[in-house]
Amino acid sequence: MVNGYAAASLREALEIRASRDVVPYAGGTDLMIENRKGVRYLFLNKVPELKAVAVDDRYVRIGAAVTFTEALACPDVPRLMKEALSRIAAPAIRNAGTFGGNLGNGSAKADTALIEVAADGKVCLASAEGGRVVDVDKFYLGRKKLDLADNELITEILLPKKGLEQYSYEKVGGREALAISRVSFAGVFAAENGKITNIAAAFGAVADTILRYKDIEAMLLGKTVQEAKGLKADYLNAYAQRMTLTRGRVSAEYRKRVCMNLLNGFLTKFGI
Amino acid sequence: MEKITRSVVKKDHAPKISGHSVYVADYPAEGVLCGKLLHANIARAKVLRVETPELPEGYFYVDAKDVPGDNNVNIVLDDTPVYCRGTVEYIGEPIAMLCGPDEAVVTRLRDACKVEYEELEPALDLRKATETFFDYRFGHGDVDKAFSEADRVYDEEFETGYQEQAYLETQGMMAEPEENGRMFVHGSSQCVYYIHGAVMRALGCGPDGVRVLQDVTGGGFGGKEDFPSILGCQVAVAARKCGKAVRCVLDRREDMEYTSKRHPSLCRYKVAVRDGKVTAMDIDVTLNAGAYSTLSAVVLQRGIIAAPGVYNVPNLRVHGRALKTNTAPCGAFRGFGAPQTFFAVEMMMDHIARDLGVEPLSFKEAHLVRQGDFTSTCGRYHFPVPLPAMIDKIDKACDYRKKRAEYAKPQTGRYRRGIGMSLCFHGAGFTGSGERDLIKAVAKLRKYRDGTVEILASNGDIGQGVRTTFPKIVAHELNLPLDKVYYQHPDTARVPDSGPTVASRSLMVVGELLRRAAIRLREQWADGEEQEVEERFKEPDFIIPFHIDKFEGDAYPTYAWAVNAIELEIDTYTGVAKALGAYGAFDVGTPVDYNVVMGQMEGGFLQGIGYASMEQMNYDDKGRIRNNSFSDYLIPTAKDVPNLYCTLHVEKYPDGPYGAKGAGELPLVGAPGAYLSAVEQALDGVALHHVPFTAEDTLSVMTKEAV
Repeated sequence: MVNGYAAASLREALEIRASRDVVPYAGGTDLMIENRKGVRYLFLNKVPELKAVAVDDRYVRIGAAVTFTEALACPDVPRLMKEALSRIAAPAIRNAGTFGGNLGNGSAKADTALIEVAADGKVCLASAEGGRVVDVDKFYLGRKKLDLADNELITEILLPKKGLEQYSYEKVGGREALAISRVSFAGVFAAENGKITNIAAAFGAVADTILRYKDIEAMLLGKTVQEAKGLKADYLNAYAQRMTLTRGRVSAEYRKRVCMNLLNGFLTKFGI
Repeated sequence: MEKITRSVVKKDHAPKISGHSVYVADYPAEGVLCGKLLHANIARAKVLRVETPELPEGYFYVDAKDVPGDNNVNIVLDDTPVYCRGTVEYIGEPIAMLCGPDEAVVTRLRDACKVEYEELEPALDLRKATETFFDYRFGHGDVDKAFSEADRVYDEEFETGYQEQAYLETQGMMAEPEENGRMFVHGSSQCVYYIHGAVMRALGCGPDGVRVLQDVTGGGFGGKEDFPSILGCQVAVAARKCGKAVRCVLDRREDMEYTSKRHPSLCRYKVAVRDGKVTAMDIDVTLNAGAYSTLSAVVLQRGIIAAPGVYNVPNLRVHGRALKTNTAPCGAFRGFGAPQTFFAVEMMMDHIARDLGVEPLSFKEAHLVRQGDFTSTCGRYHFPVPLPAMIDKIDKACDYRKKRAEYAKPQTGRYRRGIGMSLCFHGAGFTGSGERDLIKAVAKLRKYRDGTVEILASNGDIGQGVRTTFPKIVAHELNLPLDKVYYQHPDTARVPDSGPTVASRSLMVVGELLRRAAIRLREQWADGEEQEVEERFKEPDFIIPFHIDKFEGDAYPTYAWAVNAIELEIDTYTGVAKALGAYGAFDVGTPVDYNVVMGQMEGGFLQGIGYASMEQMNYDDKGRIRNNSFSDYLIPTAKDVPNLYCTLHVEKYPDGPYGAKGAGELPLVGAPGAYLSAVEQALDGVALHHVPFTAEDTLSVMTKEAV
């Protein structure tokens, strides 16, 4: 039998989190497989405050216990995120899997986390004492290490309302469905008055954390597409130099080659 | 559609779909000890000693010393030990079994056992392996002369990897000592009489001392042909020692890592061509047998007999060897040696054709065997070879010739397409004279007073539907409703030996015995009486006797045929190949149930595509298989080939029931050749030589090409 606590409100959940040794459990699609012995879970999938998608003046706010299936049906969730969601596992797992769980699992293979990093997304954390907001990029400290205190829970994911319209998303799995990413890529492009204002590129499943290099992106910011073309070789070279990838179910060399091809494809797609 | 072909609801549909079926793991645990195997974790070593933890009361340590009879499992030879006999020969070899009432305690005790080894040098590289389990040679004509007169000679080597059967239910057996002294062994299996013979030997008892029952079995694919004999002996020995029922169900990692898989292979083909025609093939086939010989002899025989493919090769020399390595013994898997050689010969024919500037399909068509032609073993193709009509069918289904020509033109852009075709057969039933000399199948019908009829045979339903198709045949002949005829899981205490559930033989061979028995029962039917009829296998008159020492004669009475085309689109950024379509025409004779046969064709074809593409399993330099879970060893899902088209061509076999031939294995056999041929075309005509061929392989080929 599973020993656990089913919280009915966020407040109750935070109190349990603070006072007991519990593992937060949102959709359980990873935890069920782990089947850890002697563990007590804090079930968050019925906490109403974590189940909503809301929009404010700057962000689309996705509750940590919102499932992928629910998000796919929600008109407010950006198309880029939906592209990633639609390729996660299979319908049964999308019915259970959540944004909070995907992020909280701490894996660099998490498909929604990749989008959040590429989109300059933020994660809202709460404890009984209060809350804080962290850039998803900074939330990952290392392999399976998160900037999450023992008394904190993930409550919301924030994605910018605007600026995610032009993108590339790619997932390489071992097969078409029920596949963990072997390489994943999300790129976001924006230009205003002929100048590039955003050229975010994030790589998932190729290292201990999701990779994004803002200093290399800066090479092309403020440039026209024509100017960026001239800098393309240096830009790609900078990535090639910087990216040190790990081997997993595929070799590091393969991952590197795919990352470079996808990055190149992203630039090409936007005329660079 | 003939009446017998019309689909019915499978007899085991309701219990399986509702969860009522009782698999070996489902029997209540009360009074049953849990057995856990202590596996070797070194590929080759002397076992100096095993330090066991103190065993609580009611817990047992069982090893070779506890085997009352012969510590050798009877498979083809007897070299596989029940429990390790002093040296371990592969990682995973069972040294002992820990038994007791509480699974967690048994696991803890097992994990606390310390094995002291003296390590020995293992043989892991197939190319360097020196110990030969089996070595066969055969051929005909004058190969050397043909090579000396050739205007072109080709010499290529092909390699195939492991494939895991990936049945849904892992291996599991249970043994219960009965009050009369008999050992009752039951579990997930294909061949109750194989287990029966093996357990008799291990326990040192006569046929009445052992009873074997097949439990509901969640898939076999060949993986439950030999292994249950081994596990059956282990639990029987344990149950004898403990004096209680012992059940051992492997977990998924144990099963994937330590039980039998498809043999990895190396095939070298030297081919002589003169005036655009193949005049000779000199073929060398090497299989990685693993540490014990298990079924390698017969897998190798089937593989080498199929080595020249569906082509007339006037001068032929074939050499086949199964070599020992210190890895888990390989065994039976749907196709049984033939997928390896058919892959090689199909690629070889493709490569020669392209080098000659001829379209591979035309080149293959010019060499096709026909009715009356010699087989590779100088038997005959006694019946029509329907390949030309089947090629037409596939050409129409996917516009093969047009696409093949179109994709041959230079392609640009991120995505590149290719289409490939392969042709193959599967020899129906046992290789050689096994049916006549070894199996000697007997099947019975028992009619009860109430007019119901029970089928008594030893073939197990492993999802292929014999619990449905056997009764269909009998009900058809007796003009009875299907619910009046039934077939239980075989129990050696009740049924005669109609042979194992292997080699695509059950329906064709045993189904025909049942059909004949049903006709006899119909003729002597007496209402209200209990009646029994028995039918024994008789070899058809037309057969040219097969001599295994010379590989001469009819290796098979007839053949099932397949034509496969696969169309792919390769992403040049990632190497990922997306299947745009897979098209298969299959001749398995008359389908005795359309849905059953189509289920086999679609499933087998997809399984073959998995073998060709994503199903990758290797051992490392220690001999350890690391990808032993379903997140690391991927098999295809329906989404990988949504456009999977299968069609049947019926060339009836007069000695099979209503014209049915072997069906189960055929659909897997040709897939790798068609798949890799499509990859080659998409990659600008490069010549490739191995499967599985992964996205990573594709990118590395593209990088090399670009340099």
